Amino acid sequence: MPVLAIDGVTKRFGPNAVLKDVSLALDAHEVRAVCGENGAGKSTLVKVITGLYAPDEGAVCVDGTPVVITSPQHAQELGIALVAQELSLAPALSVLDNIWLGNRKVPLLHRRQELRARARAALDKLGLNDLALDTPASALSIGRRQLVEIARMLTRDARVFILDEPTATLSDVEIERIFAALRALKAEGKSVIYITHRLGEVFEICDSVSVLRNGDLVGTRRTNEIDRGTLMQMMLGRSLGEMYPAWESSPGDPMLMVKDLHVPPLVRGFDLTAERGTVTCLAGQVGSGAITVLRALAGLTPGASGEASISGKPMRLRTVARAQAADVKFISEDRAGEGIFLRLTVGQNLIATKLKDHTAFGLLARRGLRATAASLAAAVGVDRKRLHSPADELSGGNQQKLAFGRWIGGDRPGVLLMNEPTRGVDVGARAEIYRLIRQFCDRGYCVVMASSDIEEVLGMADVVVSMYRGRQVARYRRGETDMQRILADITHPAAA
Amino acid sequence: MTELTFPAVLRRGLPRARYIALAVRLAAAAAIAIYALTTPGFLTLLSANALFTAISFVGCVAVGMTFITLTGNIMSLAIGATVSASALIFLACLSLGILPAILVALLFGVVITGAQGFLVGHLRANPILVSVAALSLLLGGAAFVTGGHHIYPSGAGLEIFKDRFAGIPIDAWCFFTTVAVGQFILSWTRIGRLMTMVGSNVRAATAAGVSTTATVTAAYVIAGACASISGILLAARYGSGDMEIGVGYDYTAIAAVLVGGTGIAGGSGSTLRTLVGVIVISVIEVVLLLRGFSEQLQYLITGLLVLCVIMLHTLGERR
Ligand SMILES: Nc1ncnc2c1ncn2[C@@H]1O[C@H](COP(=O)(O)OP(=O)(O)OP(=O)(O)O)[C@@H](O)[C@H]1O
Ligand SMILES: [Mg+2]
Repeated sequence: MPVLAIDGVTKRFGPNAVLKDVSLALDAHEVRAVCGENGAGKSTLVKVITGLYAPDEGAVCVDGTPVVITSPQHAQELGIALVAQELSLAPALSVLDNIWLGNRKVPLLHRRQELRARARAALDKLGLNDLALDTPASALSIGRRQLVEIARMLTRDARVFILDEPTATLSDVEIERIFAALRALKAEGKSVIYITHRLGEVFEICDSVSVLRNGDLVGTRRTNEIDRGTLMQMMLGRSLGEMYPAWESSPGDPMLMVKDLHVPPLVRGFDLTAERGTVTCLAGQVGSGAITVLRALAGLTPGASGEASISGKPMRLRTVARAQAADVKFISEDRAGEGIFLRLTVGQNLIATKLKDHTAFGLLARRGLRATAASLAAAVGVDRKRLHSPADELSGGNQQKLAFGRWIGGDRPGVLLMNEPTRGVDVGARAEIYRLIRQFCDRGYCVVMASSDIEEVLGMADVVVSMYRGRQVARYRRGETDMQRILADITHPAAA
Repeated sequence: MTELTFPAVLRRGLPRARYIALAVRLAAAAAIAIYALTTPGFLTLLSANALFTAISFVGCVAVGMTFITLTGNIMSLAIGATVSASALIFLACLSLGILPAILVALLFGVVITGAQGFLVGHLRANPILVSVAALSLLLGGAAFVTGGHHIYPSGAGLEIFKDRFAGIPIDAWCFFTTVAVGQFILSWTRIGRLMTMVGSNVRAATAAGVSTTATVTAAYVIAGACASISGILLAARYGSGDMEIGVGYDYTAIAAVLVGGTGIAGGSGSTLRTLVGVIVISVIEVVLLLRGFSEQLQYLITGLLVLCVIMLHTLGERR
C-alpha cells in the first residue's frame, strides 16, 4: 500500500486551475522526483500535501485512508516533513532554535543538551561541522540557510520527506551530502518527494519521476527506463534544442578590474579581471566567497575595501548608487528578500530600475512605463496578462525572470553581476536566460556570474575562476577545464 | 469523497474572503450612514459644514501620516505636537504678515519631521523611538519658549481663513487639496513610486539602487508639511494656540489611515483611502458626541472599530 497517495486533486485560484486531476502514489523506500516547467504546479502540489491549500477536488490519502490535512502542523503529525522552496528561517533566532522551531515532537519540558546533540548531528551530516549552533540565522549566507533548513527536516521524525528545489543555491559538494542523507532515509524505509530543475539530479538520486505540465500530470516513469531527452520532452511537450547557446569564445579587452578586494571575514585579497563581451563564472561551494565578491562589487557590503575599476575608471565600493552610476547591474541570490518586490505587481517589478528613464521634472510618464513593462515581460517570457498580479502569485522561476528582466535595456553596455542567475528556473526558461546572457555579451556587456551549478559554469563560461575559502584557486579559459578539475579545485585545492 | 471538517470548509471559502471583506465594508458604511442620519442634529451639522471643518484638521495630519505608513515606518508619535508647535509659531509670527507666518510654520514642520525621516532612513533607526525622542524635544522646547502660556495672535488677517469658497469652508478646501496633491505624488511622481518600493521591501529597494535616505526623508517632509498646514488652520480658526491643540491627532490620524485601508506593513496605500478613513472616523466621533456618549466611551468605540477594520483587512489579503 502506498504511504502517501494523491487522488484526483484539482486546485483552482479564481478561474485558473493550477492542478488538474493529479494523482500519484508514493511507496516506502521510494525517492520520487517531480519535474515540470515554472508554474507547472509543483509547489502548489506540495502545498496541498502539507495542508497550506485545501484541494478543490480530490483527496490526499495517508496509508490508504483519505485525510483532510488542515494545516502544516497537522501534516507534521501525519509524518510529513517539508523543505519549502522559499527560505523560511526566522532571522533573529539561532540555528539551534530554528531547527526545532515548530517541531511538534519537542515537549514543553525538554533536555536542551539532547536537542543540541541531535541538531549537531544533522548539521554535521550536511557538512556544516564548523557552524556554531548559536549563530543567528541572519548571519548565514543563502546556501547555508538552505542547508540548515534541510537539517531541520532531517531532525523531524517523519515518514515522507518533501524537498522543493533544495539544491538551487548549492554546489555539487553540498548536494552530494544531501544525497547521502536522502539515501540513508531511503534505506530506513522512508519516502522522499524531490522537486528540482536540475535533471542530472533526477537520474542520480530518484527512483521514479512524475512530470507536471500546466497543472496536468503528464505521467510517471521509472528513471532507469527513460533518458534525459524523453524527460525534457515530457516536461516541455516539445524537444529542446541545445541548452547552451553556441558561440565563439574570443578574449575581449579587460573591462572590470578588481584588485585586492577584502570583504571580512571571508574574502581577503581577491583579484579579478573580466573582459568585455565575455562571461566570467566564479565557481565555488557554499562559503567559497564567490557570492560575497559580487555583492561587494554591487555596492551592497558596507565593510568591503579594495580597488575596482570599470573600463579604466575607478569605481567606489560600498554604495549601490556608485556602482549603478558606473553601469554595474546586479541580480541577487536572495530572490524573495532582495531580488524582487513580492508585494508589488509584476509590472512594477519590471520597471523598478527604469523609473529614471521615464521621468520628466519628477513626473512619471505612465504610458511609457506601461509599454516598457510589457516589452520587458515579453523579453523574459512572462505572460503579459500577469502584469497586474502581485509578484508573489508567480511561481518561483517566473519570479527569477522578473529579477532578470529589470536589467534588460539601457543604452550603455556595463557590467552585469549575477548570483545564481538560474536559481529555480526550468530547463526551457533556462535556455532562454542563457540566450539573454549571450545577448548581453554581444552588446558589449561584461558578465560575471557566481554559480554553484558546475554544469552551467562549463556551459556558459568564457573564463572560469574556481574559488575556495575566499581565494581564487585557478583560472581557466573555455575548453581548458572539465567537471573533475573544477570539483577538485573547489573542494581540496592543491594549494590550500 | 472527502469528509469535510469545519476548518476545511472555512478555508475553502477563503478565496472568496476578499468579497466577504468588501461586503462587510459596504454594510458597515451603510450602517454608519443610517446611524448618523438618524442622529438628531447630524443633518444640521452637515448643512452647517461644521463636519467639514472638523475633519479638515485631523484630515491633513492623516494625509501626511499616510506617507510615513506607506514607507514602512508605521507612524510618528510626534505629529500631534508638531501640529501644536506649528500653530504657536504661526501665531507668533503673524506680526510679520500672514504669508511669512505661514512659510515659517511650514518650514518648522518640514525641518522637525524631515529630521526624523533622515534618522530613520539613513541610520535605519526605529521610527517609533525616533518619534518619541522628537516628541520630548518638541514638548520641552515649547514649554521652555512659551512658559506654558497661551499665545494669541499679534496681527490681523485671520478672517480670510473663515471665508467660504463655493459654500465650502477654506479649511476643507485646504484639506481636499492636500488629499489631491498627496494622491498625485503617489501615483504620478517618481518619488511616490520610490516610496512604495521602499515601503514594500527596503532591501530590494536598496539593491535596485533606490536611496532609502532620500525617499524616507521625503515622506517625512510631506508629513511635516501636512502637520503644519493642520496647525495653521487650527490656529487661524480658533485665534489662539497652546501645546494641547494637536494632542491626540497622531492617534486619530493613524486610525484613519488604517481604516482607509493603507497597510501597516508599508508598500501600499493612497491618500484617497485615507480620505475615506477620515470621514468614517470623524462621522463616528461626531455621532457619538451628538448622542451623548462620554469621551471615554468614544475612545473605546473608535479603538474597537480600528481593531475590526484591521482584522477585516488581513482576512481580505489571506488566501
Ligand atoms: N496564491 C496564488 N494565487 C494565484 N495564482 C497562484 C498562486 N500560487 C500559485 N499560483 C499560480 O499557479 C501556478 C503554479 O505555481 P507553482 O508555484 O505551483 O509552480 P511551480 O511548478 O512550483 O513553479 P517553479 O518551478 O517556478 O517553482 C503558477 O502559474 C502560479 O502563478
Ligand atoms: Mg515552485
